[in-house]
Amino acid sequence: MTLSPLTRGILLGFTGMVLLLMYTPLLVVVINSFNPDPSMTWPPEGFTGEWWRKAYHSAGARDAVLTSVQVAIVSTLISLILGTLMAFALQRFDFFGKHSVNLLVILPIALPGIVTGIALNNAFRGIMGINLSIYTVIVAHATFCIVTVFNNVIARLRRMGGNFEEASADLGAGLWTTFRLVTFPQLRSALLAGGLLAFALSFDEIIVTTFTAGSGVTTLPIWILNNLFRPNQAPVVAVVAVVLILVSIIPIWIAQRIAGEAENIR
Amino acid sequence: MTAANTAIRLLDVHRHFGEVRAVDGVDLEIADGEFFSMLGPSGSGKTTVLRLIAGFEQPTSGTIELAGKDITGTAPFERDVNTVFQDYALFPHMNVLDNVAYGLRVRGVKKTARRQQAMDALAMVRLEHVADRKPAQLSGGQRQRVALARSIVVRPKVLLLDEPLGALDLKLREQMQVELKQLQRDLGITFVFVTHDQEEALTLSDRIAVFSEGRIVQLGSPSEVYEQPVNEYVASFVGTSNLFDAEAARAVLGAEGRFALRPEKIHLVAPSASAGGPQAKGKVAETIYLGVGRRVVVDLEAGPQLVVLEPSTTEAAVKRGDAVLATWRTEDLVRLT
Repeated sequence: MTLSPLTRGILLGFTGMVLLLMYTPLLVVVINSFNPDPSMTWPPEGFTGEWWRKAYHSAGARDAVLTSVQVAIVSTLISLILGTLMAFALQRFDFFGKHSVNLLVILPIALPGIVTGIALNNAFRGIMGINLSIYTVIVAHATFCIVTVFNNVIARLRRMGGNFEEASADLGAGLWTTFRLVTFPQLRSALLAGGLLAFALSFDEIIVTTFTAGSGVTTLPIWILNNLFRPNQAPVVAVVAVVLILVSIIPIWIAQRIAGEAENIR
Repeated sequence: MTAANTAIRLLDVHRHFGEVRAVDGVDLEIADGEFFSMLGPSGSGKTTVLRLIAGFEQPTSGTIELAGKDITGTAPFERDVNTVFQDYALFPHMNVLDNVAYGLRVRGVKKTARRQQAMDALAMVRLEHVADRKPAQLSGGQRQRVALARSIVVRPKVLLLDEPLGALDLKLREQMQVELKQLQRDLGITFVFVTHDQEEALTLSDRIAVFSEGRIVQLGSPSEVYEQPVNEYVASFVGTSNLFDAEAARAVLGAEGRFALRPEKIHLVAPSASAGGPQAKGKVAETIYLGVGRRVVVDLEAGPQLVVLEPSTTEAAVKRGDAVLATWRTEDLVRLT
């Protein structure tokens, strides 16, 4: 499509503005983590690594990071297993209500977090009579993390078709050998991409977490929220935020590269 | 035919998909070392029969035997048959050598031994030089040959080929036909070949089964199927035929019944020539140059049209509008059921 120079100029301007609006605040956070003034006045008058040192030695922040990592890893593992199984079920078999199940699986990612949060809170405490803990957070996160794995795997399965598995069986491989040598290697990049996205989703989730975390379970986003408005903690929060940005960006970037490479091979 | 040299036997095999009878009562015996073709249009059940033999489908009823042993109900990996798929189904994440060695690998053959055997199989299809490449880097013809090598490396009793040449262009297809035939002779493996291309079936096969609507309508050698088609369906599907229905047969042939006559069995002579035997007067409606010969369409005085294939050596070529006398031998006229 050819655009007139004017249209092109306007579009370019808009794109630039949107990107600027999205990324300037992030940049400010990064700079503020080195701002010597604890009340983060702008512009910064100097440079300090003090906050990074403080953050590193802050037991609260460290525990929060550890909790978040634990929650993210376990809920990602759960989603990898369940998401893959579900994708196989919906792609390979025909059964009554298949399309409804498909919708129900994807829905949690579209549902407002607050609704999921309240619903799960009621379900855990009211109906099942379970005390909130780190495990309830993990289960809650898994409900929407499954979607990213499911979507990636089912898209791959749709392109693969069943022919490779027939060929493998034909050449003498049993079901498990076929999965190990033929199906799984072709799913690997989809699983990695889906898993990384799931990890990133879980890592910075706050709404559902607030409703499902037991007392004493502090994930990183919750720790940040609690500490943001304490005057002497503000710079440390900025440091943690920078770390969070990195932890979130890297998996997404890797996932995108993997997805891109998988496209190129085909 | 005794059980000892029967590779595959199908006894009253049915495969129904809901209301659709994809395979509707097929009895079949394929001899050891035979090049057997299943010919028919798409939806005639030939591919389903192949998948039943491979074990990808289970029959609704009936028995399938391999070398005298009942294999009905066993899984594909338990059957000593291998398939060359229409789209080859080469594993995209493995290189050519690993693809070919796959069948040996899952049988627990040691790495060095299976690599050697895989290279030998690749040598058989003259593709040793692409052993390190991925399937995506090969041409269609090369993929086809890799798929062949992958299937024959495990030395199955029977090789099933599902329209293996369908995706290739004409030149390559003709070349591969020759290679397939040679390979089959060298290995002595039974080939079961599915195709909708009647010419391919005629050139390659020892015997042909013509399929229609889930049943075998005729089974015989290529020349039997071509020279003695049992009905109108076979006569028109295998090669081209001039078909005479009851009315046309009475008018042109003066005989009761339905008949088929191959275009190349008819000769055109001048109307003045005195000829014995069956004949019909007509006028040339169209001539089409084919290279190897000329197709001449004749409007018969008695009504129907006749398609005639004249060899290109005929000196005085007939032209549009010429009055001609079409002649043929009585024995070339095939009575249809």
